[in-house]
Amino acid sequence: MLSKSQARAFFFVGTGLCALAFVGLTVDTFGKIPAQTGQAQLTEQVIRGKDLWDHNNCMGCHTLLGEGAYYAPELTKVIDRRGPVFVAAMLRDPQAMYPGQRKMQQYNFNEAEIGDLVAFLSWIGKVDTNGFPAKPPLAQGNVGPAANRPVVFQQLCTACHSLGGVGGNVGPALDGVGKKFDAAYIGKWLEDPAAVKPGTKMPKLPLTADQIHELTTFLGSQGK
Amino acid sequence: MKYQSQKIAWWFFATCMLLFTLQLVYGFIMAFAHAGMDGLHAYIPFHVARATHTNLLVMWLLAGFMGAAYYIIPEECERELMWPWLAKLQLGALVATGVTAIIGFHFNWWEGRKFLEIPRPLDFLVVIDVLAFIANIGMTIWKGRRMTTTSMVLFFGLLMAALLYLPGMIPTDNQTVDSYWRWWVVHLWVEGVWELIMGGILAFLLIKLTGVDRELIEKWLYVIVGFTFLSGILGTGHHYYYIGTPRYWLWVGGLFSALEPVAFLGMAIYAIAMAKRGGRHHSNRTALAWSIGCSVMSFVGAGFLGFAHTLPQVNMYTHGTLVTAMHGHMAFWGAYAMLVMAIIAYSLPLLTGRDLQNSAAATFAFWTSNIGMIAMTLAFAVAGITQVVLERRMGLEFLAVQSEIEVHFWGLILAATLFTVGILAYLWVFIRSGLPVGPVDADDSAPATVA
Ligand code: HEC
Ligand code: HEC
Ligand code: HEM
Ligand code: HEM
Ligand SMILES: [Fe+2]
Repeated sequence: MLSKSQARAFFFVGTGLCALAFVGLTVDTFGKIPAQTGQAQLTEQVIRGKDLWDHNNCMGCHTLLGEGAYYAPELTKVIDRRGPVFVAAMLRDPQAMYPGQRKMQQYNFNEAEIGDLVAFLSWIGKVDTNGFPAKPPLAQGNVGPAANRPVVFQQLCTACHSLGGVGGNVGPALDGVGKKFDAAYIGKWLEDPAAVKPGTKMPKLPLTADQIHELTTFLGSQGK
Repeated sequence: MKYQSQKIAWWFFATCMLLFTLQLVYGFIMAFAHAGMDGLHAYIPFHVARATHTNLLVMWLLAGFMGAAYYIIPEECERELMWPWLAKLQLGALVATGVTAIIGFHFNWWEGRKFLEIPRPLDFLVVIDVLAFIANIGMTIWKGRRMTTTSMVLFFGLLMAALLYLPGMIPTDNQTVDSYWRWWVVHLWVEGVWELIMGGILAFLLIKLTGVDRELIEKWLYVIVGFTFLSGILGTGHHYYYIGTPRYWLWVGGLFSALEPVAFLGMAIYAIAMAKRGGRHHSNRTALAWSIGCSVMSFVGAGFLGFAHTLPQVNMYTHGTLVTAMHGHMAFWGAYAMLVMAIIAYSLPLLTGRDLQNSAAATFAFWTSNIGMIAMTLAFAVAGITQVVLERRMGLEFLAVQSEIEVHFWGLILAATLFTVGILAYLWVFIRSGLPVGPVDADDSAPATVA
């Protein structure tokens, strides 16, 4: 039967070997992190963004690289998903972008700070995370019509609207909206929703004339 | 209890009770926010509640470990504590630092790094405080009449816990590096050196409560902590899958962390086997229930539920979802909260001279809190799995999924209420037991039978 001194030897040898291997792997990992994370793109602005991220404890509601809290969306790929314009608008006034929804902290950032945070989130979006977050394997949107939607629609509008069953539920679903409204009305609506319908919860979004044209053409054809 | 200075432990335990109660209040604030009632958003937004909830948890567990050490070490070493005044000072400083940190959180003063939110200047105070504690028990062991395996395992667990706090303070501009070091604290604590502390305290309790021979208990203690480190050190890799570190962590972390439940299973079998073997019937059955309950619930929460999401194929979809919160609650409860509850339940009659451990309230506290925690874990599990399926596998929007699972947070609130009732009963027993008196004469010093 095992004696106490054998048990002690098992403990010390096992622990020693594993600790040694762990330190070795750590050294190797630190050699590889600069290339894998794009250390070279860590500009002053990105670093300022990270400081803002830390000092405001965004991780107390959000996850980043899958770490943090489970109260608000995962943000590693938020720039890919929503685009910098939406993210900046979100940081300017969170309540306007998601009216009546779960609340994000209103930080009253200035434009420079918003730029820093967007730069930080763009940087983190390019880190090679070994495939996280994975593409949802059972999503309907992965095949078919989603492919030929305007980018601006996928980034800005799907946060609040769904189309073909995919997207947010802040605003009404946009299926068949082309039957409901004509292109001119949709164009006016997008320029300034509150001008068309005072007190509406849809915010005025930072859209260029080209984007509005693209969107009215696209939406005008829905349901036709 | 034989030594005057062991009395200090009571003050640490009283601190535990206070901070624990406060932790639960913040838990409810978050649960209501998840359920759609965030009326406190303007005063205590979610991130403030969360940082407070988790930091109070870590703080009261540390206070509990310190109290346990101040109780156990004099008894194991057969001498008074080296510097009782330092222990008191050190408790005062710990509480002051903690309270400052918690108040700071409410004014946006923190570092946004989960579990390590305490602002940097206060980090240094924590380190100094813990070093004073380590020096105190270290000198007591050094000058003591005997050096037991139990006291050494406990001491090294505490020392390593203090040292491993330091990597968390390394400054960096790279989020990946930041996260890499953060896990040296968080993972290597709960799945490494804290298990030494757990092993040490459980061994002490089993020696006292079951009367099984010390040699036998300590031999198996080595085997179990041996398994802990064999799997737990390289098991850190299960946090390095998807944060911008090399791909080899997928199999290193996957393989070694999959072995981690073995150590927890070992701990459970060991506690049950020793309790069965012991011929001694110690009068404090509640303390034995908490001790064995600790080993069993830690296997369920850490071992079983940890394993459930530790393989990289699974973790790809569960990473950073409510599934993690499910595991976090049961694991912290089983392994560390119940451990502190066990040592308090054991030592309280010996500190205060009033034995209420066999009262109905003490038994009620044990069962109600555990059933409440199991129900909480189920509520988190249903919410978490639904989130994984709808958001991660089917690609629905985050907020749409959250409103879908809101109802499970009402379930959580119900379960948490049951849990809280159990904790209040425990607190009632604690308060009713009164203040500590001098050394209490109890037949509790040496094992009566040898196995
Ligand atoms: C009190 C919790 C909370 C804090 C703190 C918080 N957020 Fe948010 N955030 C939210 C919630 C909730 C949403 C989801 C949209 C909504 O309901 O407003 C969100 C949405 C976002 C979005 C849009 C995500 C998307 O997929 O549309 C971005 C970008 C964002 N937050 C960035 C930040 C940054 C940067 C910080 C720190 C400076 C931060 N948040 C701090 C709660 C929070
Ligand atoms: C912050 C959330 C939000 C965003 C982002 C958003 N919307 Fe809306 N939208 C709404 C809400 C809320 C309504 C309902 C307004 C009302 O009825 O007062 C709405 C209504 C509409 C309507 C009228 C639908 C109907 O059936 O009455 C159209 C068309 C529309 N949005 C198009 C868009 C387009 C195109 C975009 C992207 C450029 C967009 N929305 C982005 C929230 C949003
Ligand atoms: C008592 C021991 C344990 C405690 C207290 C504990 C607690 C926790 C906590 C609080 C987290 C969240 C950490 C964070 O995101 O910062 C976590 C994550 C995790 N734990 Fe544990 N744990 C324990 C043991 C284990 C074991 C034995 C395993 C594996 C078998 C395990 C597997 C995991 C995994 C895979 C994650 C990452 C989840 C994710 O990707 O989001 N844990 N644990
Ligand atoms: C009244 C009872 C409690 C309630 C209602 C509660 C609720 C919560 C909620 C809602 C969260 C946040 C999850 C998120 O980020 O969205 C949380 C986090 C956490 N709680 Fe509790 N809690 C309670 C008691 C406890 C207890 C007793 C423990 C420890 C033993 C504990 C340990 C934790 C931990 C470790 C986390 C972080 C989890 C993670 O990051 O994965 N909680 N709690
Ligand atoms: Fe871990």
